[in-house]
Amino acid sequence: MPVNTRKRKVVTRPVPESSDSEGELADGLLEGILSHSEDESEDSQEEDVETDASSVIEGLSDEDEEDEEDTFESDEKRIREQIRNLNTSDGADGDLDEQDEDLKPNYTVTTDARGNVRYLYKEIDPVYESDDSDAEATNTIGNIPLTYYDEYPHIGYDINGKKIMRPAKGEALDALLDSIDIPKGWTGLTDPQTGKPLNLSEEELDVLKRLTRNEVVEDGYDPYPEMVAYFSGRQEIMPLSAAPEPKRRFVPSKHEAKRVMKIVKAIREGRIKPYKAPTEEEEEEQVYFDVWADEKPRPEHSMHIPAPKLPPPGYEASYHPPPEYLPDKAEEQAWLEQDAEDREKEFLPKNFDALRKVPGYETFVKERFERSLDLYLAPRVRRNRLNIDPESLLPKLPDPEELKPFPTTCAAIYRGQEGRVRCVSVDPQGIFVASGGDDGFVRIWELLTGRQVWNARLSDEEAVDTVQWRPTKDASILAAATGESIYLIVPFTLLSPDVEQASREVLDAGWGYAASKPPTSANSEAPKLPPGKWSRPGTRLENKGVLVLIEVRSAVKVINWHRRGDYFASVSPRGQSTAVAIHTVSKHLTQLPFRRLKGIAQTAQFHPSKAIFFVATRNTIRSYDLAKQELVKILQPGAKWISSIDVHPGGDNIIVGTYDKRLLWHDLDLSNKPYKTLRFHKEAIRAVKFHQGGLPLFADASDDGSLQIFHGKVVGDLMENATIVPLKVLRGHKVKSRLGAMDLDWHAREPWCVSAGADGTVRLWC
Amino acid sequence: MAGRSKKKGTSGAAKNYITRTRAVKKLQISLPDFRRLCIFKGIYPREPRNKKKVSKGSTAATTFYYTKDIQYLLHEPLLAKFRDHKSVAKKIGRALGRGEAGDAARLEKNLMPKVKLDHIIKERYPTFVDALRDLDDALSMLFLFANLPSSEHIPAKTIALCQRLTREFEHYVITSHALRKSFLSIKGIYYQATIQGQDILWLVPYRFVQRTGGDIDFRIMGTFVEFYTTLLGFVNYRLYTSVGLVYPPKFNAKSDEQGGELAAFQLEGKANATNGTNDPMEDVEINPEAQAIADRLAAMPDAEEDDEVPNVTAAAMGDDDEEEATEGIDTFEPTAPDADVLPQPQASSAQIASLFAPFTFYLSRETPRTSLEFILKAFGCKRVGWDGILGDGAFTTNESDPAITHQIIDRPPLANGAPAPDVPENENGGAAAPRVQWPHSTMPGRTYVQPQWVWDCINQSKLMRPDLYAPGAELPPHLSPWVNAKKGEYDPNLPLEAQQPEGEAEAFEDDGDDDEEATFDVDGDEDMDAIIDREGSVEVGEGMDVADSDSEDDSDDSESEVAAEEFDGFESDAESDISEGEAGRIQHQRELEAEATGKKVEVVKPTRKEQNAAVRKKADKKRRQEEEERERQKMMLSNKKRKLLKRIEYGENKRDVESETLRRKRAKLEKAKAAAEAL
Repeated sequence: MPVNTRKRKVVTRPVPESSDSEGELADGLLEGILSHSEDESEDSQEEDVETDASSVIEGLSDEDEEDEEDTFESDEKRIREQIRNLNTSDGADGDLDEQDEDLKPNYTVTTDARGNVRYLYKEIDPVYESDDSDAEATNTIGNIPLTYYDEYPHIGYDINGKKIMRPAKGEALDALLDSIDIPKGWTGLTDPQTGKPLNLSEEELDVLKRLTRNEVVEDGYDPYPEMVAYFSGRQEIMPLSAAPEPKRRFVPSKHEAKRVMKIVKAIREGRIKPYKAPTEEEEEEQVYFDVWADEKPRPEHSMHIPAPKLPPPGYEASYHPPPEYLPDKAEEQAWLEQDAEDREKEFLPKNFDALRKVPGYETFVKERFERSLDLYLAPRVRRNRLNIDPESLLPKLPDPEELKPFPTTCAAIYRGQEGRVRCVSVDPQGIFVASGGDDGFVRIWELLTGRQVWNARLSDEEAVDTVQWRPTKDASILAAATGESIYLIVPFTLLSPDVEQASREVLDAGWGYAASKPPTSANSEAPKLPPGKWSRPGTRLENKGVLVLIEVRSAVKVINWHRRGDYFASVSPRGQSTAVAIHTVSKHLTQLPFRRLKGIAQTAQFHPSKAIFFVATRNTIRSYDLAKQELVKILQPGAKWISSIDVHPGGDNIIVGTYDKRLLWHDLDLSNKPYKTLRFHKEAIRAVKFHQGGLPLFADASDDGSLQIFHGKVVGDLMENATIVPLKVLRGHKVKSRLGAMDLDWHAREPWCVSAGADGTVRLWC
Repeated sequence: MAGRSKKKGTSGAAKNYITRTRAVKKLQISLPDFRRLCIFKGIYPREPRNKKKVSKGSTAATTFYYTKDIQYLLHEPLLAKFRDHKSVAKKIGRALGRGEAGDAARLEKNLMPKVKLDHIIKERYPTFVDALRDLDDALSMLFLFANLPSSEHIPAKTIALCQRLTREFEHYVITSHALRKSFLSIKGIYYQATIQGQDILWLVPYRFVQRTGGDIDFRIMGTFVEFYTTLLGFVNYRLYTSVGLVYPPKFNAKSDEQGGELAAFQLEGKANATNGTNDPMEDVEINPEAQAIADRLAAMPDAEEDDEVPNVTAAAMGDDDEEEATEGIDTFEPTAPDADVLPQPQASSAQIASLFAPFTFYLSRETPRTSLEFILKAFGCKRVGWDGILGDGAFTTNESDPAITHQIIDRPPLANGAPAPDVPENENGGAAAPRVQWPHSTMPGRTYVQPQWVWDCINQSKLMRPDLYAPGAELPPHLSPWVNAKKGEYDPNLPLEAQQPEGEAEAFEDDGDDDEEATFDVDGDEDMDAIIDREGSVEVGEGMDVADSDSEDDSDDSESEVAAEEFDGFESDAESDISEGEAGRIQHQRELEAEATGKKVEVVKPTRKEQNAAVRKKADKKRRQEEEERERQKMMLSNKKRKLLKRIEYGENKRDVESETLRRKRAKLEKAKAAAEAL
């Protein structure tokens, strides 16, 4: 135990010291719990210390192991003694103090002989933890940095309040250790057999050294001694054997002679040639035979792609081609300037007037080489040749001559409108054309001459969005809409008196009805505003012939008459529930057929023969049975935004124009998807119209300023689909602020159509 | 329960294809060995339909092989040979490293494995016809190598082998009269033979030193040549035996040294094979005078021709003749004019065998002897002589031989008509035969032609007029016999007028007259003006805003120019009528004016140019109408079909443009020619 403390004192640096003390404390605790031999724990602690304090020389650390063994030799002992002497704290005092401490807890204070206080301790109860005897004298300064004591000669206080002096510094120790010489032959190793330290003698060390240097271990050993020739050609004076030479050494060998004779005989007979001339490289020639003697055709593997043959040469490859195949200067220049890879032909055609003048072809070998590269290196792929006659792809269209008549040229231009012409309508007689535009005027033109015969300003600020003639010939009534007002007009200046009379009667019939009816309507729907208010527009307009004004709740964009002329439908896309209204002329009544409409209504139209009503919203077209009051069909043209629709006079087909540039043909019998989709316009389609007078024609008007005329024949036979043939593009309207042709209408009988343009003109095409 | 989800890349395209690197690794050979193996076995990379699927998403450029091809290679006996070769090469390398040259030589001699390709030939070409089908490249390659000088890359032995094999093949072609067509191109001479129904086309370079520099890898070429020589050897064997000849034919090294080429081979019939009496050495050592006399005697009666056949067995020929008599194809003439005409084989072998049969040819020294000899003999000529300088094996080397009927000359006649040099006296003292020597003197009754005559004759399979090919004459163009002009393509054989679409001739004519005039544009403008004029006339009654209409017209004009390319419906007659009517109106106006001023109306006669313009305009209009009609039809196509049509039309348009340039050039040339003649 004291040895250990001493050893600890070897450590010179202060930091290890503190760790030391800590270790000590830990040790003390451990002591109480586990009755381990202290040596071991002490040891491990020591090793820690040593790894920290690398300044300790190796010799000393080895020493520690030895004193565990407790096999001190005399030298060793001496060293230890000296080291012990260096210790500053005297062990005896410490021991005493420790003992005192041990007695502390149960003592009685008395005065001893020297007059000091004396503690009389009770008997120790020898419980397990009670023995504290081997607790060591420790520094009691607590857990504070040792640097606080740097300037003092001591490093703290022991349990009795005595100063613990600073141990000797490293330099002093080093000096001491230097003065001590390590015993001779000391290796620091332990002999595993005896367990004692292994000491080696000088000789043994020398042997080891030689071994490590790959030298001969033994002194005086000669690895290369002089050779002594025991058996040599030298005649010794005393032979090894005294036997006489045998006879066979002097007599020629019979056996050999026999063998020689054998060879001689063979040579004589020519079996052996004495000199064989080195044979020339006689290579066995390739032996050809009939490989295909038993040929069996093998079906070609489906994945096999035979190498394509090189094409035969054309005229231009001739040495003397026809002169037109020779390149002119520009072509030659272009060929020369091109990269070799980009050239379409690998050679320039050249002309030589005689065969003797033809030079060798420079890149012959190269071309062959490239061909062989292609054969083994080029990936092969089977490409299907398009061996189709392009004519067969094109559909057989009827000859346009057969499809005549249809409008081809612009026959008249009606000028005079200011701003865009938004709508146009040809009267059922085919004499007048009504148009309305941004200037708020409704104008009536003579169809053939283009003369303006009537006009009326319906609104100062709002444009006339739609005009539509009543489709009967007995009376001549024009419906026009501007903003939220719908006007019914009888342009009486243009009409014969009886027609005028008939027209006025048609319109006036309702006044009486409206006058008689109101009570009932007022009774039932008193709080509700009527969907349309029928009134007289005022004298100024009445003098012109504008006889009825219907005011609805939102701006009307489209008006379409029923074929009998008693009803007309108006569509105002803005008004949600009032979007579609049906007006009865004879009763001056406005009804809203749909309480709630899905989507924004774009246009509405009556079926030409049945009581069916078509309403187009942005994406779909719904047909309603007016008699049964139910939905019949929903068509889905697949368009993003429908602009207009028109129903074929037969009633089974609908054409739909869309703002996304498509013209769709729906066959109601087929499906709710379009039968044909025609995309020939570059801009949105504004209006589509069937010819109503029996000609198989329809047309569309687009923002690109053009009208396209199609032949669309519908056969009564259900088995046969409609034939649609594009006929004519009519250009003429100019595109103004991305608007071209705004509306179109067909003449009632003739193949003429009238179009309204954003450029302020109305054009007649025939 | 749903089946186990399949892992990606375990089946289908991903498994069917293998990259080259993986293939090489799988076979455990080096890349050059793999290349050799691929060339021998005819294995080639593929282009998978979906590259991404094969290369697991990567789109890097990779070479793919068909996995099964590589699997077949695993069992290839050549693979073992290659490995042996590698190990022996190692041993030799070691021996050489030690300086044991003798050992190395011994190793090389004894251990080096010999690569034999017999089995591959059988494997790649299960039937003989398959082999014939693939002979094009083989022949072209071997004919090239036969004409190359030996170098470090190409051993002389290979070249000798190539020469031997190609000449043997030529002999077969001659014997069987299989040659059909030939063409002198700037690359070389193309030949086409038909053997067992297979058309074989090969190219032989002109006899010049080939340029072999640059990035040409002769190892690759050498591998191909190795394969092709084996192939051609077997093919030759089969061809020879099929016509009753012995293969290999006897080869006379001495004659070959003296430039005998074809003559160095002596064909033997199966029956004659054992006799082997006809020694070609005799021919060489014949006394020239005796030969000349003999030749004359031989040439006099035509009936004795067959005796002149020295090498080909009579038996074989006899068989041929009989066949010709019985199995020749009759020509089918339609009896009624409305019947279809079926294509018939053009030239029977009988015709070919007799095209040059009655003639004796003499080749001047500047002519390509090899090709001429081959062609002439293949087309039945038995007696081809040439200048002694051209090598051994000539029928006669005496130019003044009276048996000669045709002499092929590639030199122009002397301009100044220089007299013949003095005829050197024979040793015999007397000028036994008149010595003729082109160009100093000509033999009466002999036809002198340029070499092209021979080629044109065989391509047309009839004798051409020799005067067109007379020495010094300007030769007619030499045309490739393989081009069949399709509809709308330019054909130099036909007169220009026959193939020009309507109105083109006039357009070309105008082009020549006046290049600045952009004809089509002017045309379009006129049309537009006419329309605008008419619009104006319609408006006359209204007269509301004239100034405005003017400006509109301008803008209209510009717009219509832009839109000129677009579809315009089809043009109605009315428009053009109106424009014509417009012209009439102007004319009428002029007349009225003239009447008013009291002048006489001058009748404006249309000049030629105007006439042209009119015709062209008409043609133009028609064309445009057609175009419009087509556009209208296209409108009704589905998108898919439209794209397809576009693709088809791309090629067609290119062809059309090409032929139009050719026609234009020809028109120009013809015009220049006419002008020159007029002068």
